[in-house]
Amino acid sequence: MSTVAQYIFSGLAIGGIYALVALGFHIMWSAARAVNFAHGDTLMIGGLMAAYLVASGWSLVLACGLAILAGGAFGFVLERLAVRPFAGQANSIGWMLTTIAVGIMVESLATIETQGYALPLPSPGVAGSVQVFGAGLYPQELVIPVIAVIAMAGLRLLQRHTLIGRAMQAVAHNKNAAALMGIDVNLVIAFSFALASLTGAAAGVLIAPVVQASATMGVLPGLKGFAVAIMGGITSAPGVVLTGLAYGVIEKFVEGYISTAAREIVGFSLMIVVLLVFPQGLFGKREVAKV
Amino acid sequence: MSSKGLMRSQLLAATVAFGLLSSVAHAQQQPCIGNSAAVTGPAAFSGQAIKMGAQIAIDEINEAGGVLGQKLRLVQYDDAGAPPRGVDNTRRIALADKCIAVLGGFHSTVAVAQVEPVHEIGIPYMGVWAANTKAVENGRDPNFMFRVSAKDKWVARFLVDEALKVSKDGKIAFFYENTGWGNGALPDIKAAMAARGKELVAAETFNWNDQDMSPQVIRARDAGAEVVMIWSLDREGNQVLRAMDKIGYKPAVIGAWGISGNLGELAGPLANGVRVMQTYSFLTPQSETGKKMLATLAAKYGLNDPSAIKAASGIADAYDAVYILADAIKIAGAFDWAKVQKALYEVNRDGLVAPYKPAFDKSDPERNDALLPENYLLAVWHDGKLIPFKGSPYDK
Repeated sequence: MSTVAQYIFSGLAIGGIYALVALGFHIMWSAARAVNFAHGDTLMIGGLMAAYLVASGWSLVLACGLAILAGGAFGFVLERLAVRPFAGQANSIGWMLTTIAVGIMVESLATIETQGYALPLPSPGVAGSVQVFGAGLYPQELVIPVIAVIAMAGLRLLQRHTLIGRAMQAVAHNKNAAALMGIDVNLVIAFSFALASLTGAAAGVLIAPVVQASATMGVLPGLKGFAVAIMGGITSAPGVVLTGLAYGVIEKFVEGYISTAAREIVGFSLMIVVLLVFPQGLFGKREVAKV
Repeated sequence: MSSKGLMRSQLLAATVAFGLLSSVAHAQQQPCIGNSAAVTGPAAFSGQAIKMGAQIAIDEINEAGGVLGQKLRLVQYDDAGAPPRGVDNTRRIALADKCIAVLGGFHSTVAVAQVEPVHEIGIPYMGVWAANTKAVENGRDPNFMFRVSAKDKWVARFLVDEALKVSKDGKIAFFYENTGWGNGALPDIKAAMAARGKELVAAETFNWNDQDMSPQVIRARDAGAEVVMIWSLDREGNQVLRAMDKIGYKPAVIGAWGISGNLGELAGPLANGVRVMQTYSFLTPQSETGKKMLATLAAKYGLNDPSAIKAASGIADAYDAVYILADAIKIAGAFDWAKVQKALYEVNRDGLVAPYKPAFDKSDPERNDALLPENYLLAVWHDGKLIPFKGSPYDK
């Protein structure tokens, strides 16, 4: 029993990170029909920056806040430099390559800066473990999935009840029509990238105390967050968050009852099967492309 | 002397030197040592340490007049831990730079991949870090792979002996990373256990960057392991310790030297008492060579606090490796790969890490490794610092 609880809670913690990353992909895709493949590195920027600021004497709250803002700024600048110039092209190769390239560059820079070492981010959330249904957990890990769900709900509120949120939906629906209605489409897209990067950097700040901040900390969450977004249906925010949490839990059970080495094999096989059966993802809506 | 005059005299000296050595008909190698190591990537710290140790030795040798009247140079290449790049670098060092030897790096997968090009070309390779047994015990004759570092087979015995001191019944679990280094160590650990008539109660693996190790730790706990032996790097070692902390499992932890970087910083008090195998520490009473080394590290690299020097083993092993190579070149009397390979077996010297008497033994296939198990050192994490186990608060 306690073992099962352990797998579920540990899985929800890592699944919460996948969910937050996938939510970022959802936000970008919804507005721009393009994503930032350096999104995993946004996570790293958030985590590393917070670790550096805390090490240089900043308070934890200020450091995390600034690190998350820096992540948002990264998304904003990246959209302008690496996505927008290529967004007009008929195919997606341009922004795919440029965002991947920027990701590699940022990761290399971080490696030079850290010399490859992981850095600790001390947080009261990992000071001591708590017992829940016999499972041992850090409070930090319990908070992560909760924040993922709150972020999803917050996004829903933003989209329904604010001007910028409605503008995002309008742009997602039809860029030309939105532009004719007086919406600054470029600004809305830039905002969505910044918002996505804010969630990414927040995920980095949340996970760093548990996994340590390092130059490569964003690689796997970035990749799996994207896989989760596709599996869940990238057009559905609740879909990607639920899928993210479920994917994390499934991973833990595979590690627990089969083997750690089998985790990626089972996980990615599952992804392929899901896409074969649900080409739009589990919760995604079919998108009609008018020619 | 004008720079033109200086160049002319150097050219003249070079011509004379070539004339003297021209009895060796085939291509001459250059007075350089080429290092292929991870200067970027997650193990970039290792490349820095190797470069530091090797450069200090080369500077000292050059100040004392160089080797065979020539100044040694270090040529640095980055393999980022990728075997294909290590192979490519090996060829470049040998065929383009024509260096006299290859100095190895951190990653065992790279070292194992280098065995083939090293023998195809016939250039001596000197490992200074990667500890995979088969990289050096590769069955070739003549064997061009040498090493001044640990060897997993012996590290396994060393650590199993330590583990059995803690758990008399031999309830030992083994945690290893899913890489060439970790997987290569599994048979070594099993053999070392079998030699003591014991079997592992659990063998658990994990990947780089894994965030949570609770399934593995739960299995080890349920198997009743009193000691957990770890073959991992700091980041994953920290995750193992945290997973143990979460489920309230407190076995003794003993690790290979992958967890000797900054585990104390990452895991905080959880790292206290974690034992690690090392080849060198700057915190023991230092020899004259050690004192000189510390002075250089402080003067040239600003490392004033010996306890703040990370990767001491890597620095010290690289330092000794370069001196052993220089000795071999002197004995060979020429910058010639085949002659230097033979001469390496004749090197005798008092090194920083150990006395090498002799450094290598041709009659014993296990002895292309210069460091022996008795040269290994047990260290322990204590309040963020890696200190010698002997005399530590954990030495009871």
